[in-house]
Amino acid sequence: MDKNNMSRHISGKFNDELEAVRNQVLTMGGLVEQQLRDSLHAIEKSDHEMAEKILQRDFKINALEVQIDEACVQIIAKRQPAASDLRLVIAIFKTISDLERIGDEAERIARVALESFNNDQQQFLVSLENLGQQVLAMLQGVLDAFARMDLDSAYEVHQMDAQADRQYEALTRQLMTYMMEDPRGIPKVMNVLWSARSLERIGDRCQNIAEYIIFFVKGKDVRHVSPESMEKTVKGNR
Amino acid sequence: MISVTPSTSNVESLDLANLTPEQTALEIRNLNLHYGDAQALYDISMNIPKNRVTAFIGPSGCGKSTLLRCINRMNDLVEICRVSGEIRLHDKNIYEKDVDAAALRRRVGMVFQRPNPFPKSIYENVVYGMRLQGVNDRRSLDEVVERSLKGAALWEEVKDRLNESAFGLSGGQQQRLVIARAIAIEPEVLLLDEPTSALDPISTLTIEELITDLKEQFTVVIVTHNMQQAARVSDQTAFMYMGKLIEYADTNTLFTTPEQKQTEDYITGRYG
Repeated sequence: MDKNNMSRHISGKFNDELEAVRNQVLTMGGLVEQQLRDSLHAIEKSDHEMAEKILQRDFKINALEVQIDEACVQIIAKRQPAASDLRLVIAIFKTISDLERIGDEAERIARVALESFNNDQQQFLVSLENLGQQVLAMLQGVLDAFARMDLDSAYEVHQMDAQADRQYEALTRQLMTYMMEDPRGIPKVMNVLWSARSLERIGDRCQNIAEYIIFFVKGKDVRHVSPESMEKTVKGNR
Repeated sequence: MISVTPSTSNVESLDLANLTPEQTALEIRNLNLHYGDAQALYDISMNIPKNRVTAFIGPSGCGKSTLLRCINRMNDLVEICRVSGEIRLHDKNIYEKDVDAAALRRRVGMVFQRPNPFPKSIYENVVYGMRLQGVNDRRSLDEVVERSLKGAALWEEVKDRLNESAFGLSGGQQQRLVIARAIAIEPEVLLLDEPTSALDPISTLTIEELITDLKEQFTVVIVTHNMQQAARVSDQTAFMYMGKLIEYADTNTLFTTPEQKQTEDYITGRYG
């Protein structure tokens, strides 16, 4: 993001407040990213110890969400932000709520990592890992885009979700086939399916955050619009 | 998909560049104004829609009050002031030679920053304009007083002491009395020059509430230093800077997604 623009307020204190809240969002994003990366690792390596750690760390993310919420409320009450400042506060409000949910999904995946899988079932974990890496790349991309309020990278992340959705569908089909072949394995496979579902949802949430970034930069709400109209907004001069 | 029409304003936005004659109250065309050698307004062109609230905002000295005063030719009183261009009210340029300034000011009323009631009773303040026009019939004057004071949201507070001095009223009440005086002669346009800058927050909100009601009958043009006030009361906002009209748009748009960087910097409190 154009840092100069953000620190150009006549009120130096307002600059500090905005900068502080933005940094908190980046910290929160970093924590969420770590949770997701670790949960993927835990499930791949059946690392129960790491899974436990993830479960213990989620509260930090929740606490940050509350703190940032409070800071935003203070800014609105005291500064009455307008135009890009207002859009930034709104974008932050919405972004942290999605980040918190991503944290919850990572926690859910970690719970699955606490289960034991037999050799047969291990193969699904590999497919899950592939989907996981795709979604992790989306999360990293969108956090990076948020840090710089970069329109193009936000749009790129938004486009990546289609690939994640395809991987999720393929994995679902694979799991269903397995369940039909071996009904006794259903409880375990269901767990894998829930994790896949969690990952797919994380992709959607990254897409949401990308939309908030586009809203901040362009001032246009691109939720629930056609792909063409979104492209027009992103590529348009204004 | 469900279609939703998000709107925070209670009025639909207009295409300000292309108003129909029925929608238009005032048309300002290529207005330039000089005080002696110094140019104060540069080529201002804008349409002010009827029965709406239009706000002029901008830093001190940007020309917003000057522009407002042009609309009822208050600048005529300044000797070194020269105006070129047109302001059309009902398709008639108010700067044409045959336009009587006093008659114009009956159609375009004005309220100033400091409440300026006359040293008379509340009643006489309201009917002052009517008396000037030669109306002295008690019954019609009574009717005007009640209607105007109700219109200015002051009736309930003063109806039992109409013959007391206007100076006994609070600042906020005095300002509403002045508005009552302005609307008593039923102008078409009401110009408000920072009407609340000398008032406390509660009186300010009362006046703002009043402005919203006033636009049903009048076209309101308001100059204000308080940006949040412009955002709250106006339907469209014009941002001026150094005598130029920088941006003129629907208020909802101007305060969320202004097009010009200068506007953005001003409303977000950044260095220009």
